[in-house]
Amino acid sequence: MKKGKNTLFAYAWSAPSLFLILMIVIFPILYTAYISMTNMNVYHWNNYEFIGLENYKDALLVLDNGFITALFFTVLWTIVNMVLQVAIAFLLATLLNIRKLKLRNVYKTLLIFPWAMPGYVSILLWKTGMFNSQFGLLNQWLQKVGFEPVRWLNSNGMAFICCTVVNLWLALPFMITIIDGALQSIDKSYYESAMLDGATWLERTRYITLPMIKPIIAPSVIITTFTTFKQFDIIYLLTQQVGAKTGAEIHTILTYAYEKAFITNNYGYSSAVSIIIFIMLIVFSSVSNAEPKKRGNN
Amino acid sequence: MRRVLSVILAATLAIGALSGCGKQSEEMEENGTVTITIWHDKEDAVAEVLQTKLETLEPEIHVVLEKKSDLTESLKMVGNDPKAAPDMYLFAHDKIGVYAEMEILSPITDIISEQELEQYVESTVEAATYKDTVYQLPIYYETLLFMYNRLYMSDEEVPKTTEELYAYMQENTNGGHYGFVEQHSTPYYAAGWINGFEGSILSADGTAGLDKPETIAALEYHKKFVELMPGETEYATVNTLFKEKMAHSTIAGPWLIPTVRESGIDVGIAAMPVIDETGIPISPYMGVQGVHVLKNAAENKHEAVEKVLRLLMEPDIGLELAQASGCAPANKACYEMDEVLSDEVVMAMKETAEYAVPMPNVPEMDVMWTVAGNLLTDINMSDKDVTLSAQEAQQEAEKLIESMR
Amino acid sequence: MSRKIKEKIGLAVVNLFFIVLCFGVLIPVLYAFSVSLNADNSLLSSDFSFLPKKMTLNNYKAVFFEEPILLWFKNSMVMAVVALGISLGTGIPAAYAFSRRDFPGKKAILKMLILLYAFPSLLSMTALYKLLSPLGLINTKIGLIIVYTGTMAVFALWNMKGYFDTIPKEIEEAAMIDGATTTQLVSRIVLPLAKPTIAVTAMMILIYVWNEYIFAINFMTGSDTYTLAAGLYSLQATEMSGSWPVFAAASIVVSIPILIVFFALQKNMTTGLTSGGVKA
Repeated sequence: MKKGKNTLFAYAWSAPSLFLILMIVIFPILYTAYISMTNMNVYHWNNYEFIGLENYKDALLVLDNGFITALFFTVLWTIVNMVLQVAIAFLLATLLNIRKLKLRNVYKTLLIFPWAMPGYVSILLWKTGMFNSQFGLLNQWLQKVGFEPVRWLNSNGMAFICCTVVNLWLALPFMITIIDGALQSIDKSYYESAMLDGATWLERTRYITLPMIKPIIAPSVIITTFTTFKQFDIIYLLTQQVGAKTGAEIHTILTYAYEKAFITNNYGYSSAVSIIIFIMLIVFSSVSNAEPKKRGNN
Repeated sequence: MRRVLSVILAATLAIGALSGCGKQSEEMEENGTVTITIWHDKEDAVAEVLQTKLETLEPEIHVVLEKKSDLTESLKMVGNDPKAAPDMYLFAHDKIGVYAEMEILSPITDIISEQELEQYVESTVEAATYKDTVYQLPIYYETLLFMYNRLYMSDEEVPKTTEELYAYMQENTNGGHYGFVEQHSTPYYAAGWINGFEGSILSADGTAGLDKPETIAALEYHKKFVELMPGETEYATVNTLFKEKMAHSTIAGPWLIPTVRESGIDVGIAAMPVIDETGIPISPYMGVQGVHVLKNAAENKHEAVEKVLRLLMEPDIGLELAQASGCAPANKACYEMDEVLSDEVVMAMKETAEYAVPMPNVPEMDVMWTVAGNLLTDINMSDKDVTLSAQEAQQEAEKLIESMR
Repeated sequence: MSRKIKEKIGLAVVNLFFIVLCFGVLIPVLYAFSVSLNADNSLLSSDFSFLPKKMTLNNYKAVFFEEPILLWFKNSMVMAVVALGISLGTGIPAAYAFSRRDFPGKKAILKMLILLYAFPSLLSMTALYKLLSPLGLINTKIGLIIVYTGTMAVFALWNMKGYFDTIPKEIEEAAMIDGATTTQLVSRIVLPLAKPTIAVTAMMILIYVWNEYIFAINFMTGSDTYTLAAGLYSLQATEMSGSWPVFAAASIVVSIPILIVFFALQKNMTTGLTSGGVKA
């Protein structure tokens, strides 16, 4: 009986939130799934019909060599960015938590500045202000110290590094805030007793800090991983914008799908491509989701 | 904490209620005034001229000129939703095919008779015609122009042919200076070279022409010029080079001229250099800017729409736009006015328009911008083999066009 | 050699490190700032210095007087506050329920939610349009607010639920014995303890609403209904007429409110369980 009440209570309390999610997150997915089975395109914009799995047949053709390369790149991009992000954020947050650091709030506020600017503004600033091969600050500085100017976004390797730098710049403020908050929540007495036992910093980090902050930062890390995986703006705007391409050919699965499907204005077809990518992501993350299972068994 | 929360919630409700009765876009019938909304993406100078003119229709018709970012994408979404769509929009002619196929556009001939369209320069009406139907009331047209900085290049030095241009570039490109710059790997700009070789990005009937021998020849020839240009193809870099007096000459749109003059450059405008190999000048795309009427508006606000269109047909608008922003009027009558005839920029565009190629207006063009852009970057910036890349791009284009249906 | 001196040197090194780091991180921002003060209309220039030769405040004047920025500011404010209220108002109870109660479907829902997050949002625009349009919510603030709160709901739920999980149940159980209702429990015990996560979540929502422009541009048809981010985007969208310095000035102006809020919230983010003496 208690159980029934519990369930009712839980559903009642989470209903408004779940309703919003249903409308804004789930509905578009269902709608996309529906459109993917129609011939909605420029030529049948209003009078589209159900055509079954026709689009999927075509959409599977997108999964060619280029797609596999893009998939590899996306995975690499996600791993590199997440590792760097968490490691750097952890390091900085730890330093910010040194007890006698008086200016920490000033540093924190300055460090989150990138977060306060709209994303496209930042990307634009980086692209034209920093990386531009003619006028960019980086090249101006290089030339001042007597080096040849570099075409930062022209080659794949360099463009990858540049995109990573921008992504870190944009994403670190959030990660620092999260990890900083998590560090604050650890009871200091643990450290005191560990110090008494003569534990080194590394040992303290390994046996106290990490296990303690893990459950707190895990949701944010998981969500950021997805955001990184889905990242489109940075790579697209830095290297591929129509009329401003830079010569680098780095594609994530999303920019690839964009060039191969979305630009055709064929909504049925691009919906099918989206659904396929979505399914792949689900398979992908359920394979690698041993981690979140540890939590949430209250 | 609870107090904080309840304050937030109360504020939420209050503001929510307030914004709920905020104003709606439908200000339709207040004492008989009809509101006509026109979306556009034009520079302020152009909008101001039109605004002043359209205000003469008050109080009967109230015209709202709305500058809209991402206009083309928004139209796809809201096009047939009378609650959110505009009544008309002012844009280049190249999206006509897409919207006509989507059935959100009304033929302009439903409102203005075909005979009346004869007062416009033929090529502008032609550009606005998709599948034998005219979908746009032309207002002005634009082409790229050859511009030079008189500080470096005297009027006599202006290259008549592309080889002369190349010689000038070789001589003057060093130490951060460039003899000539353009957005070399952007299809809209490279199209001039391709057309000058009688190649094509996309033919008027929607066939990709990237692997035509003429196109390949153009790309190959063009590449040697690109080697003497900066490794960036984007708008800001190229135009800043010209504005900062680092580039002696450029091919750019008329919209650049006001800002260039502002920065104190004595800018000259000349005819496009003739390509030695073909004897044809560099032939850029021509874009016709005009008003399109959405189906809903044509059906429900026919009279008001007609009045707006008739007002926009008056030749003096062409004149005012020419003076305000160097727009080349589409109305033939304007070319009998001294003020227009003496305008250097307008007349240069009129001359260029004689060999310029109207941008294709078929839906297929949407994918060509990306494919051609990739092809150009592959060749010019990644040093890939021209023929091979062109063939690959052609296949890609055909595949994408195929999947549009 | 004493410990104190060693500590002081260490502290100085850390301070120096952060000063250099902050400067490095802020270079693009300083760049924008310098451009915004520059009298020449150019984002690019071949000899850039952080202090422009010809300084002017005209660009800031233009931002405040020539553009309807105060109107956009008001729109953004209204939307941010309402979206924040709704997000927390729906998110906190939901997160609490998911953290504290066991009910059928809980794990499945949680897992599903995070997977849904993986859906590429490029296509949701049209779908949302089709949803909001028949409800008459296109071109209204409410429509946008629903989109924003819905988009952030998964994050809010997950993030706060994760933190709630780390707050020991025992305190609540003790209070329960004293006869407190669940609502009292949450507002008097859980919320004060969860301040850091609420602050972070609020910050995230605020920043999202503040910086989002794609929905704002497409769902709001008139420029007087734009939010700051959307208005800013429209300022630079047409490259032919865009004025870079005005745009740079505007982007600095837009960032300031967020920084102020962050500074104000920081206290809440840092004092969490530490003061409560709670053992996790």
